[in-house]
Amino acid sequence: MRKFLLHYLLPRIAQYLTVIFIGITVTFIIPRLSPTDPVEAQVSMILSSGSAVDPEAIEHMRQALTEMYGLSGSPLEQYIAFWGRLLRGDLGPSLSTFPTPVTRLIGQALPWTLGLMLTAVILSWIIGNVLGALASYYPKSKLIYAIDLMSQAVRPIPYYVVALVLLVVFAYLIPIFPFSGAYPVGTRPSLTPSFVLIYLKHSALPALTLILVGFGGWFIGMKSLTSNIISEDYVVYAETTGIKERKILTQYVMRNAMLPQITGLGLSLGTVFSGALIMEVVFQYPGMGMLTLQAIFRNDYSLIMGIAIYSIIGVATSVFLMDLIYPLFDPRVRYQ
Amino acid sequence: MSNYPKTRREFLKQAAMFVAGATLASCAPATTTQAPPQGEATQPAAAQPSGAGDEEIQPGVLRRECLILEDPTGTATPADDFNRWRPGTRTYSTGLQQLALDALWYIDPDAGVNGVWDNAVAAEKPIYNEDFTTMTVKLRQGLYWSDGVEFTAEDLYYTVDVQMKNDGWSYTGQFRGNIESMEMPDKYTVVFHLKAPNSRFHSFFTVRWGACFMMPKHVFEKQEDPLAYKFNPPVSLGAYTLKDFDPNGNWFLWQRRDDWQRTSLGLLGEPKVKYAMYIAPGPSDKRVIAQMEHKLDVIHDITPEGRITLAQKSPSSIGWFKSFPWAHPDPTLPAVIYNNEKPGLDKREVRWALTLAIDIVRVAMASYKGAATISAIHVPPTGMYPKYYFEPLEDWLKNFTIKVGGQDYKPFDPDACNRIAEEARKTLGDLVPTDPAEIRKSLGAGWWKYDLKAAEQLMLDAGMKRGSDGKWKLPDGSDWKVPMMSMNQSNPTMNRCASMVAECWSEFGVDTMLDARDNPWDIMSLGEYSANLAWTIETWGGHPDLFFFLSSWHSKFYQPSGTRASGSNSMRWKNPELDRIIESIQKLDFDDPKGIELGQEFIKLAAQEMPITPLMAYNVFTVCDTTYFTGYPTAEDPYTDPVPNWANTKYMFIKIKPKA
Repeated sequence: MRKFLLHYLLPRIAQYLTVIFIGITVTFIIPRLSPTDPVEAQVSMILSSGSAVDPEAIEHMRQALTEMYGLSGSPLEQYIAFWGRLLRGDLGPSLSTFPTPVTRLIGQALPWTLGLMLTAVILSWIIGNVLGALASYYPKSKLIYAIDLMSQAVRPIPYYVVALVLLVVFAYLIPIFPFSGAYPVGTRPSLTPSFVLIYLKHSALPALTLILVGFGGWFIGMKSLTSNIISEDYVVYAETTGIKERKILTQYVMRNAMLPQITGLGLSLGTVFSGALIMEVVFQYPGMGMLTLQAIFRNDYSLIMGIAIYSIIGVATSVFLMDLIYPLFDPRVRYQ
Repeated sequence: MSNYPKTRREFLKQAAMFVAGATLASCAPATTTQAPPQGEATQPAAAQPSGAGDEEIQPGVLRRECLILEDPTGTATPADDFNRWRPGTRTYSTGLQQLALDALWYIDPDAGVNGVWDNAVAAEKPIYNEDFTTMTVKLRQGLYWSDGVEFTAEDLYYTVDVQMKNDGWSYTGQFRGNIESMEMPDKYTVVFHLKAPNSRFHSFFTVRWGACFMMPKHVFEKQEDPLAYKFNPPVSLGAYTLKDFDPNGNWFLWQRRDDWQRTSLGLLGEPKVKYAMYIAPGPSDKRVIAQMEHKLDVIHDITPEGRITLAQKSPSSIGWFKSFPWAHPDPTLPAVIYNNEKPGLDKREVRWALTLAIDIVRVAMASYKGAATISAIHVPPTGMYPKYYFEPLEDWLKNFTIKVGGQDYKPFDPDACNRIAEEARKTLGDLVPTDPAEIRKSLGAGWWKYDLKAAEQLMLDAGMKRGSDGKWKLPDGSDWKVPMMSMNQSNPTMNRCASMVAECWSEFGVDTMLDARDNPWDIMSLGEYSANLAWTIETWGGHPDLFFFLSSWHSKFYQPSGTRASGSNSMRWKNPELDRIIESIQKLDFDDPKGIELGQEFIKLAAQEMPITPLMAYNVFTVCDTTYFTGYPTAEDPYTDPVPNWANTKYMFIKIKPKA
């Protein structure tokens, strides 16, 4: 145990923290290299509102907003102040919707993203892996062949095309699903059975599009992984001993092919924090994608940082956890 | 014996159960922690259109009683922040500034209900002393906030005082720069003593889309930090109050006040719309489909293609004009804005050459499918401006000359609008009017000639040279590039417009390319561009005063490229004659008819100098569905602007009525 701690866990934790530190630092720098700045975006918004503005007042407006948004010091001073706040769990106020805290905006968008994206990623992972293994193990099955063909056909089509086609077909021409949003106009979200039903109905089509486009990658990956394994000696031996096909497929073939797929799942789960922008735009689904887009358009440093921090920590943590739990999935893996 | 307290299988099972539980918990959608702001608690309502409007938008809110309008801001986050006086609030056009807030005065961008000027919460027009150093405001009596407190001079005084004395408010700079002191001689009067003469001080309180709205003193003064206060629920001075809203910012439902008679709108008539809901309906195609399904009564704007679809497939949809071009021309003037400091573009002849190298017919077709209201002069051809400026200057325009190759040359082409109509007719057939008067009213009163020969001569007059590659060079023979900046696909009409201008210039031998940006405004303000398709001219629409945009064009506010422009002089135009005109306007009373004469002088000067090339009005394809409601403003009954994010659209609510 001591060996595990000193030689594996502590170095991995150090690596994990370093990745997060570098990621956050880079995210701090990049928006500040942009030619636009949040103060100017705010001033432009006031000027473009079409109301009367005194030219002499504009400079005062700029100075006051710069001061208020905490952008008046040097980049280094801002950087130090930022880490001071971050270590206290404070991501600061959003600059484009000042003084609303960044954590509040993210907290409002994140559940919608997690609800849909986690479901879609996990379902596409399960479907892709199961079908991929079946395709490899039963290469002569016509049904599996048809699914294989479909996944190959859908995969190269850009997501927005698939999403728009399904939206037009299933929400307009054959109106089975609602046209947009996570719930109808006039409805307030609540944790009631009736709202959950409404929500499921609204999120079904977006989820379907994500699964349709997403499962192909897992399908191909699993198919190629298992196609090597089915010719391994231990699989041939198992077949000759009369072990049931189902058991061979699940416990001999799939299980041995799972490790890289689990790594992939970990990475995918980490990225759900940044949302699925195109899906959110096409289906007008609330979530992190739209929030990210708004933050970038308005050059809202704080919000960009906040979203990036969630994403960086999400991906780094997923990979870190996957590293730690490999032995649980594959008993052959040991840290010694 | 195992080294671990659990077997691998046991651990996996328990971990799987834990993850499943946590996932289910995290999947639960957000709930609001706050009860609906006003009105009863609400429950989800599944609405199915029945055609009669009997379905409920919310319990007790029938579709046929609820006008549904588009809020072009989209999803408004944070949805619970209604502090309109703080920069950054996103809920301004969710009905807040249209239905709940009120201001001293309104100027209509069109004809207005009772003329273009409306004394809203003010009892009369602003009263200035002789040298414009004091402005007295007399307020109406008998107006009440929705919580029953009377609106008085205390509110106006507080609105100005809190913004003037504290940093960070939208009008801090304006008030601090202008006001020396204030006094409140009685309950309904406030006197502003100004630091310097300013005959347009009332502009800050006069709504043209927005303005400084009144704050309820009795609400804000109780807050520890009024700037951070969210003003939720908003206490209304308008005829409606907030009934409910989506915590995710996709819809806001307003209900007519029982005491609407005690509001300024109520003085003009009864608001016949019981409920109004502002929604974020998504991209153009979705808005079109929503209106075809009668789920969206007022579309703010859609693509020209979307408008044509509605014209062909939705008989209940109406626009500003009965037929082509349908759109409402906003009092904003999209133009080719030159950086007048860049080599080449600093010469009047070159700017004129670039103007004559633009084929306005192709530009109108590319941008608006022909549904553009073109303008040759430097004010938008909208609202009352045809009467104030276009008609009086028609003869002047026809005889206006510039020097081309030392000869007088008449650049005006009164027939341009007819050629646009003819071109549009090829694809839209009978939808395009044939009556010349109708064409002139809707498509504009002409533009500048498309004359490459004259343009060529003007370039030579300016000393520009043709290179061996056919491209124009600077007088010293060096390369001359004029990238055409524009908004990207976030504004498809302007993007396509810029693209066609660039194509015209390219054919003329200008080394140009389309440079589409997310945010060209900031770059334009810094002067780091050559040409940009955007706007620097916005007017009142209904009132002829041009000081609205000219104020920042005086040379005392001039900022060279590299420094942010003060106000809208992003083209960096400096001219002593322009200064004289601006100073003369500033010395006049707002309503002095001499203001129009000076405005015409400005137009003549701008035509000579061509600091920017005016193109057309900013046409907004606002479309209204007559299935459940009638009485929308149109070109025949232009009582206000139908574009629903304008605060001026409050006047629609006394004219629109349920069809039932």
